[in-house]
Amino acid sequence: MGQGTPGGLNKHNLPGDRKNDGGDKKEKKFEPSAPPSRVGRKARLPVVTPVTKCKLRLLKLERIKDYLLMEEEFVANQERLKPHEEKSEEDRSKVDDLRGSPMSVGNLEELIDENHAIVSSSVGPEYYVSILSFVDKDQLEPGCAILMHNKVLSVVGLLQDDVDPMVSVMKVEKAPLESYADIGGLDAQIQEIKEAVELPLTHPELYEDIGIKPPKGVILYGEPGTGKTLLAKAVANSTSATFLRVVGSELIQKYLGDGPKLVRELFRVADDLSPSIVFIDEIDAVGTKRYDAHSGGEREIQRTMLELLNQLDGFDSRGDVKVILATNKIESLDPALLRPGRIDRKIEFPLPDIKTRRRIFQIHTSRMTLADDVNLEEFVMTKDEFSGADIKAICTEAGLLALRERRMKVTHTDFKKAKEKVMFKKKEGVPEGLYM
Amino acid sequence: MAAEQNPSNSSNAEQAGAKPPAKDLKKKKDEKKEEDLSDEDLALRQQLELYVERVQDSDPGVQKLALESMRQEIRTSTSSMTSVPKPLKFLRPHYGTLKAYFETMAESDLKKYLADILSVLALTMSAEGERESLKYRLLGSEGDIGSWGHEYVRNLAGEISQEFAKRQYDDMPIDALMELVQQIVAFHMKHNAEPEAVDLLMEVEDLDLLVEHVDKTNYKRTCLYLISSSSFLPSPDDMLALDIAFTIYIKFEDLASGLRIALFLDNLQYVKQVFTSTEDLLLKKQFCYNVARHGLVLELDDEMVADDDDREALQDIVNNVKLSEGYLTLARDIEVMEPKSPEDIYKAHLIDGRGSTSSSLDSARQNLAATFVNAFVNAGFGQDKLMTVLSESSSGSSGSWLFKNKEHGKTSAAASLGMILLWDVDSGLAQIDKYLHSTDNHVAAGALLGVGIVNCGIKNDCDPALALLIDYVHKEDTAIRIGAILGLGIAYAGSHKEEIKVRLTQILGDPKTPPEVLVFSAITLGLVYVGSCNEEIAQTIILAIMERSEAEMAEPLIRLLPVALGLLYLGKQESVEATAEVSKTFNEKIRKHCDVTLLSMAYAGTGNVLKVQKLLGYCAPHLEKGETHQGPAVLGIALVAMAEELGLEMAIRSLEHLLQYGEQNIRRAVPLALGMLCISNPKVNVMDTLSRLSHDADADVSMAAIISLGLIGSGTNNARIAGMLRNLSSYYYKEAGHLFCVRIAQGLVHMERGY
Repeated sequence: MGQGTPGGLNKHNLPGDRKNDGGDKKEKKFEPSAPPSRVGRKARLPVVTPVTKCKLRLLKLERIKDYLLMEEEFVANQERLKPHEEKSEEDRSKVDDLRGSPMSVGNLEELIDENHAIVSSSVGPEYYVSILSFVDKDQLEPGCAILMHNKVLSVVGLLQDDVDPMVSVMKVEKAPLESYADIGGLDAQIQEIKEAVELPLTHPELYEDIGIKPPKGVILYGEPGTGKTLLAKAVANSTSATFLRVVGSELIQKYLGDGPKLVRELFRVADDLSPSIVFIDEIDAVGTKRYDAHSGGEREIQRTMLELLNQLDGFDSRGDVKVILATNKIESLDPALLRPGRIDRKIEFPLPDIKTRRRIFQIHTSRMTLADDVNLEEFVMTKDEFSGADIKAICTEAGLLALRERRMKVTHTDFKKAKEKVMFKKKEGVPEGLYM
Repeated sequence: MAAEQNPSNSSNAEQAGAKPPAKDLKKKKDEKKEEDLSDEDLALRQQLELYVERVQDSDPGVQKLALESMRQEIRTSTSSMTSVPKPLKFLRPHYGTLKAYFETMAESDLKKYLADILSVLALTMSAEGERESLKYRLLGSEGDIGSWGHEYVRNLAGEISQEFAKRQYDDMPIDALMELVQQIVAFHMKHNAEPEAVDLLMEVEDLDLLVEHVDKTNYKRTCLYLISSSSFLPSPDDMLALDIAFTIYIKFEDLASGLRIALFLDNLQYVKQVFTSTEDLLLKKQFCYNVARHGLVLELDDEMVADDDDREALQDIVNNVKLSEGYLTLARDIEVMEPKSPEDIYKAHLIDGRGSTSSSLDSARQNLAATFVNAFVNAGFGQDKLMTVLSESSSGSSGSWLFKNKEHGKTSAAASLGMILLWDVDSGLAQIDKYLHSTDNHVAAGALLGVGIVNCGIKNDCDPALALLIDYVHKEDTAIRIGAILGLGIAYAGSHKEEIKVRLTQILGDPKTPPEVLVFSAITLGLVYVGSCNEEIAQTIILAIMERSEAEMAEPLIRLLPVALGLLYLGKQESVEATAEVSKTFNEKIRKHCDVTLLSMAYAGTGNVLKVQKLLGYCAPHLEKGETHQGPAVLGIALVAMAEELGLEMAIRSLEHLLQYGEQNIRRAVPLALGMLCISNPKVNVMDTLSRLSHDADADVSMAAIISLGLIGSGTNNARIAGMLRNLSSYYYKEAGHLFCVRIAQGLVHMERGY
């Protein structure tokens, strides 16, 4: 899906939300923004209004269930009664003949009328072609992946699952192992992220009762190694919502327009799979302040950010999609990105205080075999500035030292040496500026 | 978390701080749990353990103190919304001990105290279905229920409803429960949780309690909840909910809302009550307008309005006498008085190319369409550019438009005058009068119909429509008879007029009556006695159906007879059953048709899912040619499901399936059903479906879809539908039938100029 102009891609996006609700796409463009309804028939169920768990809701849902059961019964009956089983088999093979082989995969740019459309394939120009009558026009929509006849390029079918492979990689299939219990301290931050991200997905009615819209997203910021990514992992571990994770730099693409497109695709998939959480790590890769850019690359990055702004709080409403951003340079981010409505909550991750440090030490040493003489309090109470990552490094280093001497236990001296080593590397071994 | 600031705490904290490394060596499992606790938590835990020990102390003083502090601890614990409060968490392991100890305690205040705490603990502890929270609550001190927090109350409410069901099953007393219910309801009502209060009361089947607990601030929400629940509740409960809502509205003097419910319930007693509960004349006037709009036949008496003059004025409002006047005033105010011609509606100049140039086709149809469009667009305004203008300027060749039409076209044109002069009884009748005496039977018939239309919905003491029309009912010419009969039906719909019944039952009973007249008499009777379940009329119609010969039964027009029968039972649900039973003995050609029609009309607007299922069942088999009941079944689904928004949307989904699987006879009815479901409610998805169907290969389907497009947009001036129809008019410029439908639909969309 090559280097379409940004204009062409916009077409792709706008009607993207309202897939599948009717045939005549010509009129589609004038539609007032309907609630995002997608994925076949399932999404066309009416919205049940009181979100609070009450009897009225139950009754309404039951009513919907009744109707669905009737539909099921009816459809099952009809399928059973279908008189021409053999004939359909015949038809099917005929259709296959018509489709030809191989079919090329293309992209539907625009529907002109009932039977014609403009399509583009990954290479080369766009074509005005006809849509064969057996293609389900209900499911055609601008921007979807279609099958084209290899010679005449007419639309002969469509690919159901048109998720960009780039995005499907971002989906976290296997939950990370880190849980909330692995986070030392940060109680306030955990609570805040739970309230801002998890609770709106699990208990939307609480927010409705009070009469507020739940926050859309949070940004986690703080010095390196203070546990931003760890917390995001813990969220991914505990939630049952779809978790999509991206690193800011992934959004920068080689071709013009691919970055914004990826962002769009990302949020569209998030919407499809909602409730979902999108985690964008190192957002400063794309989210830096706007200024007069000279190179095309910079401009492209800025456009990617603009698309991100639009997706966060743009014209189309995102329902159950929560966003977590993480950065350690919040001051360099574009203010538009952080305004309330896009990112409502800013959660700071400070360097650990004494209590937290103790917890972190406990967490990391809990699985280590320590000698009796180890007194962790000494490290806990030290005046040096440790981040959580430093503490982990100290513990690992101490363990390595013990291993080097083939001891079975880690002693106090190991810890001392390890600490010095880590602190040395932190202070002198590396240029200061890099950690600022 | 940090609520505890005892001096003992700090020592604990230090101790705890030093502990973990030492503990590492001891037990692995224990240590893992401990690992997750921070210092404060550990302290709190130990504190609570101490309390638990002390509760089992022999000294009542110590016990009391311990209980007090435990209670304090639980109450003050502010937790995040996302987790279990810490004290409860830490007390979990001790639940069993406390419970065991509780059993051994002697009856005392302390025991009640402990019961309270156990009740709260049970919130997180007790197994599903054991209802221990409730059990201990009943044993406890019965203090303020809200002090333990919202979640506790919610849990308790859930347990009560389970317990209630069980006790009712076992025939056990429920007084204690009800007391608790009182408390909970009061708490919910105070805390903005009306739905929960209502839910609980529904569970324990005592909605009456609600009236005591609502106050000025929350009655609206409560009533709204009750009303919207009522459309989903099973049969007796829904009426009960509405009843309660009515009582509440009256209690808080929100009389207008009360009146709405009274009208919905069709309860004259309630309507009267609304009228008697206020002295405000202006308010009463508004009520009268409401009643008039609802079409209720209401005689005001001196109880409802004391003053004679006032009563007369109000009765006029109820009788719609001033409807035309008010309508015209409104039209003048928003400046839409300027009459519009059909060309203004077609907007042919917006269609490019062929559409505008091809007016050669079938001029009679086009004129007829123009007549309709003209009537729809100028309905009620009293003036237009085709019918009235000419008659004023040149009285000699009056109604030259009229004579541009042929035969039935003339009937329509004459009747359209009635539509244009709608509600304006005095001058309207005068203008129609000249056509009444026309020698042309078609014109006269149209004029008779027009008289009926003018009087539609207006109750006048001198009954001009009845006086004018009733003699024509027995004329020779069928066209005139039908005109007069239909006119009567339209003018007196819903009025239960005795004279009409007497005359028309004669016609029905007469075996020599031609079938057309027979059918329209029946329809008129159905309209006049709509929803009355009148046995006598039902019998007459049934007899008429049974006596007619088979050949006559084959006529399509006869199918309206069951409709007439259905009208008598419109929305009356079970009352139809006796008649439905009789209809099973009918001629087999019409039997099923009649059955379906009666069913769907009797349950119209109820949202009854079972009936929808039954009707869907009728649609399932693929029939041989000649059976006609599937179409009505499809329409019946629309009729039944139109009750509420949710059912409506689901019915639209079901109709899609019918479209997909159904044979042609079903497909033809689907667009009409869609149109009926969303009348004047241009939903985008329905619009799209209809737009797709309007290009269908089957002419009947596409015509029905076009008309339905008009129906869903009727009176809305919807620009999208108007655009679609314009496109259709150029698409179908060669097909007269389709074009005619398009024109009619255009007229519908711009009906009354969209205001």
